[in-house]
Amino acid sequence: MQPKSSKKVITRRDFIKTGGYAAAGSLLGLPLLDRAAAQAAVKSRVVLIRDPDVVDSQGRVNETVLESMLDRAVTTLLGAPNPRSAWQQLFRPGDVVGIKSNVWYRLPTPEALEKALVFRLQQVGVNPNDIAVDDRDILENPVFMRSTALINVRPMRTHHWSGLGTLLKNYIMFVPAPWMYHGNACERLGAIWQKSQVTGKTRLNILVMLTPLFHGIGPHHYSSRYVWPYAGLIVSTDPVAADATGARIIEAKRNAFFGGSRPISPLPLHISAADTRFGLGTSSPERIELIRMGWGDQILI
Amino acid sequence: MTAPQAYSPGRRHTLIPCLLGLLVGALPMTTTATAQSTSVAELQVRLPKEISGWRAAKEDRIFDERTIFSYIDGAGELYRAYNMQNCLSRRYVKKGETDITLDVFDMGTSEDAFGVFTHDTDGDRIDIGQDARYRPGWLSFWQNRFYVSIYLEEESAAAEKAVKALGKLVASAAGEPGSRPQHLNLLPRAGLDAGNIRYLHHPIVLNYHYYLFDENILHLSPQTDAILASYHRSGEQARLLLISYPKTLTARNALAGFREHYLPDADSGGLARLENGKWSAVALHDRLLTIVLEADGRLLAKNLIREAGQQASGE
Repeated sequence: MQPKSSKKVITRRDFIKTGGYAAAGSLLGLPLLDRAAAQAAVKSRVVLIRDPDVVDSQGRVNETVLESMLDRAVTTLLGAPNPRSAWQQLFRPGDVVGIKSNVWYRLPTPEALEKALVFRLQQVGVNPNDIAVDDRDILENPVFMRSTALINVRPMRTHHWSGLGTLLKNYIMFVPAPWMYHGNACERLGAIWQKSQVTGKTRLNILVMLTPLFHGIGPHHYSSRYVWPYAGLIVSTDPVAADATGARIIEAKRNAFFGGSRPISPLPLHISAADTRFGLGTSSPERIELIRMGWGDQILI
Repeated sequence: MTAPQAYSPGRRHTLIPCLLGLLVGALPMTTTATAQSTSVAELQVRLPKEISGWRAAKEDRIFDERTIFSYIDGAGELYRAYNMQNCLSRRYVKKGETDITLDVFDMGTSEDAFGVFTHDTDGDRIDIGQDARYRPGWLSFWQNRFYVSIYLEEESAAAEKAVKALGKLVASAAGEPGSRPQHLNLLPRAGLDAGNIRYLHHPIVLNYHYYLFDENILHLSPQTDAILASYHRSGEQARLLLISYPKTLTARNALAGFREHYLPDADSGGLARLENGKWSAVALHDRLLTIVLEADGRLLAKNLIREAGQQASGE
């Protein structure tokens, strides 16, 4: 008889025991195998800001409105008296800052938002040569290679393998073989955040909810039928809390659109795993302080 | 047992079906026509240049199993999991109308074209190719060794009509009907949800449809054929997973791994009650592993295992 393997294999029965699959789609999360951050007593603050004028009927972005939303959100998030002060809490002149964007052509990070971030960084004294915006080439980008700080900014969308394209998933380009993380609905994405070139560097996370994609079809996983003008930004220093908040909005939109329970498929296990297994933040709504700002119509959360 | 295997993408070897003798007089699910040997390059010249006023844009693009990621990002992994050879992409344009994107995936075998088609069978069944579905903005079907996706940027009545017309022309150009996986014939017929069958080789695809393990405990590989099917009988439901292995030893290791990690509490008949009150069961018949997943009742689990075994042994 051969020896049993020592590593604990996670099986469906682990989920069944904790009710994770019984409540399919409820974003409940993984079994408590290796809970790291769950005991955190302090709530993670998340700012959700919306403005109906930020996108027009064609999906074009109003730069002025977007910049204003960003400033108001960051200022509120940090409890600062003004935007400049808020950004000074996050960055200092000697920082080397990589802005991890997302270039997926169907739903890229708005260029206006990237510009606004660069502007604010320069305003607090970060050298322009020490700022880079990149996505696919970050492993070769000299600024990212010597970065002391990161800003994570991307639109939220459904995703074929991970359930959702999230802030957590946005760092997959920090590894040379992203497909190695596709197993089990990309549940291990949190491990990327523990790598040396990433860990401890992310100062700000911005989940773009201007026109999120709430359902995908076909090889391209996109249809204009399944995007809507939510006109929001979710801003937090906690990527898990920001993603969990965005996920709840996507889930609510799916249920409303399809007229009944239509869980995100596959379940975005990586969000709760980032909390319970990797200790990157907070996924439970009870441990998130959600601050709603601006337009409240059809807010879905 | 051996350690769980990592899935290694690669060319599939032609399987000598372990139960070939049982397949004489196959059920109607198996199309026996000989697949026409062709390729994306051969098909390309037979594709229409124009359809209902939409004209093919300048150049087609062709991707292989490595470059497919540059076209459809991580979704390319699905097609690699089914042994994709090439993908041809053609865009049709018409002034004042939405673009139409045709993607033809050469899957190498008709079985894998069928397999990738079964990954997503939502939508309305329509009569194009060997099986097709239409959802708003997207048509998918398979024919011969090709899986075909035709996609609309925006929906319109004229574009939908053009998509369906284009689909018929592409299906016609794709050649003779290909065979479905022979192991489909091993599925018990009673209560089978024929519209909800998945054929696969890769653990990532199995986990997409039914999460079981975070490791490849079942030793799935390009050389294994797995079928995941749903059943409804007398108000009860269950899922049945059949996996055919090329080697008996691999099948035995998969059985041992499943029992160790998933059903350590199984009785002598291979049955166990799960924490949610449902039943699971496992049995091995030569190189065919049969697993019942979350059957509503013990009897249903027992019957499915027994019937699958009978199918496998030709009773």
